[in-house]
Amino acid sequence: MAASRILITGVANPLGAALADRLAGAPGVDRVIGLDTREPPGDLARRITHVCADVRSPDLGSVLRAAAVDTVVHNDIVQFPEPDRAARQMHDVNVIGTLQLLAAIAALPGLRTLVVRGSAAIYGSEPNAPAFFTEDLARRAPLTTRFQRDVGELEGMFETFARRHADVTCTMLRLQPVVGLPGSPITRLFTAPLVLTPLGFDARVQVIHVDDVVGALAAAVDRPVRGPVNIAADGVVSLQRMLRRLRRPSLPVAGPLLRPVSALLRRAAGGPALPEDIERYLRHGRGVDTTRMHRELGFDPVLTTEEAIMRVAHDTRGAGAEAGRR
Amino acid sequence: MRLLPAPLGLPVLPREVRSAFAAGARRLRGDWAEDEWGYDPEFARLVQPGLDVLYDRWWRVRAQGLEHVPPTGRVLIVANHAGVLPWDASMMATAIRREVGREPRFLVLDWAFELPWAGSAIRAFGGVPASPHNARRLLDQDHAVMVFPEGAKGVGKPWGERYRLERFGRGGFVELSLRTQAPIVPCGVVGSEEIYPKLGELPVVARLFRAPYIPITPTFPWLGPLGLVPLPSKWRIAFGAPIAPPGPPEAATDRALVLEHADRIRERIQAMVHENLIQRAGAFV
Repeated sequence: MAASRILITGVANPLGAALADRLAGAPGVDRVIGLDTREPPGDLARRITHVCADVRSPDLGSVLRAAAVDTVVHNDIVQFPEPDRAARQMHDVNVIGTLQLLAAIAALPGLRTLVVRGSAAIYGSEPNAPAFFTEDLARRAPLTTRFQRDVGELEGMFETFARRHADVTCTMLRLQPVVGLPGSPITRLFTAPLVLTPLGFDARVQVIHVDDVVGALAAAVDRPVRGPVNIAADGVVSLQRMLRRLRRPSLPVAGPLLRPVSALLRRAAGGPALPEDIERYLRHGRGVDTTRMHRELGFDPVLTTEEAIMRVAHDTRGAGAEAGRR
Repeated sequence: MRLLPAPLGLPVLPREVRSAFAAGARRLRGDWAEDEWGYDPEFARLVQPGLDVLYDRWWRVRAQGLEHVPPTGRVLIVANHAGVLPWDASMMATAIRREVGREPRFLVLDWAFELPWAGSAIRAFGGVPASPHNARRLLDQDHAVMVFPEGAKGVGKPWGERYRLERFGRGGFVELSLRTQAPIVPCGVVGSEEIYPKLGELPVVARLFRAPYIPITPTFPWLGPLGLVPLPSKWRIAFGAPIAPPGPPEAATDRALVLEHADRIRERIQAMVHENLIQRAGAFV
C-alpha cells in the first residue's frame, strides 16, 4: 500500500530533504508537502510543495486539511544543536513542536500513517545496561539528560496519540547516533583531528549511516509498523579499536574533566560543545537489538557500523578539513 | 601501513620477542577481532599465561567432571561464588578453556562496569553486565554462560560463613534455562573462600565508592595494594552432570516450579562443595 500525499516536517534538514527527494515522483506518491521555515536545498523546492511554516504555526491544521494529507513523517526533531538552532531551542522544537503537530493532525480525516524520527537516547547509556536493548526496554534507567527527557516526553505524546487513533499506524523510529550527517556530534567525533575519550573506558558503539536513515524512513512510509522500532546498523564495535583503525589520535581525559576540556577545545576551534548524551555514550556506549527492523519493517541497512564509520572518516578527511575550519 | 618500521634489527631477536612486537603493533593498529559483546579473543589469549600461573602454581587447581561441559551448544554453568574478588570465574573459565576448548562467557556484577579499565577488561575477557536480557541473548547464540546466583552476597561473605551458600536470588537462572531450554551444569568451587579471609567491612568507604562492600582482611587495607595479592589456598573445581530444564519454555512463568528447582540445584552445589572440602583435606598445603 503506497502512500499518496505525504507531509514531511523539517524538509530543509539533510534527512528531510533526502527523503523528500526520494519520495517525490516515486510510484504511488501523489504529492509531497514539505514543512520548514528554511528553504529546501537545490531544486527540491520546485518538485515538492514547500509550505514555509514551522510545526508550531497555528494555521497548520487548515493547511494539512486542504492538502488532504494521509501520511505524516515527523522529521523535524533536532537531535543535536544545529548551527542556526541553539540548544535551548531544541526543547521548544522537539516537545512543543511535536505537541502542536500531533494536535493539528489529530483532526485529519484521511490520516493513515504517522512516522516519527525519534532517538535511541530513550534507552540511555548506562554501565549496567543490557548489551542489546529491545524495544520494550525503554525508560529502564531514569532519563538523566535534557535531550533524553525531551525524547521521553516525545515518546509519551506519541504513545497517547497512537492509543487514541487506533486507525492510524504510528511508527516510532528509535535511531542510534547518525554518522555522516554534517555537524552531528558523532560525525565530528570521527572526523576531528584529535578525539577526546573518557580515560579508562572503551564504549561499545553502534551507529547508523545517514543514507540508511533515509532508507529506514522511506521503508517506514512504505510499510509502517505499529510502535517503536530500533534503527541501527549491524554490528557493535569498540570505540578505541575504531579510532586506532582510523589512525585517529585520541587523548584520554579523566572522567569529570572530559566535558570542560572538550568545551575549551571546541571554543578554541569554533564549534558546539559536546552534548551530555554523547559524553555518556562515549563512556558507556549503547547497543540495540534490530530484529524488529529487519523482520517487521523489512529494512536492512546497507552499511554495517564499522563500514559506516570508515566511510564517514575517509569521506571527510580531505574535504572536511576546510568545512571544519569555517 | 605499519607503525613499527620493519628493519628494527628484528631478525636478530628471538621469535617470542618478535611475535610480541607484532602483536603490540597489531593492537596499536586496531587490527583485532571482537564480537558484538566486545569479547576480544586475542586479549583473552594475552592474559591467559598469567591465569595459567595462578591456576597451576599458585592455587594448584584440580578440576574434575569437565566431560560434563558440552563442547558445543548452549549451556548454563551455575556455580557458588566466593572470595571477595571474583577470581573463581577466571579459574573456571581457565579450566573450561584448557580442557573443553570453549570460551565461556560470564555474567558480572553491574558495578564492575562503572570502574575505569576494569569494565573494558572484563568485557574483552568475556564478561557481560548481569542482566537476564544479556544471558538470554548469549544462550540463544549457543554460548556457554557461567552464572553465580549468589551474586555479591556470595563473594562478600565473612570468613565465619565460608562454604555456606547464600540464597540463590529469585531463581532467574532456572527461568533462563526453561526459556532457552539450556541444560544447567552445576559447579562447586572450593578454595576461593580462603584467598581473602574477610574479617570485617568498611561500609562508609564502600558507600563513598558506591561499591557493594570494601573488605577488611588480614592483609587489606594494611598492606595497601600488596593486600590485594590473594592467599595461595588449594583449589578444587567440580563440574556435575547436566540437569535438563524441568519443563517446556512455557513453564518459566511457574514461580513454584522455578523456586523449587533453584533450591534443588543450590543443594546439589552445596553437596558438591562439601564433598570437595573433605577430599581437599588441608586448605593451603
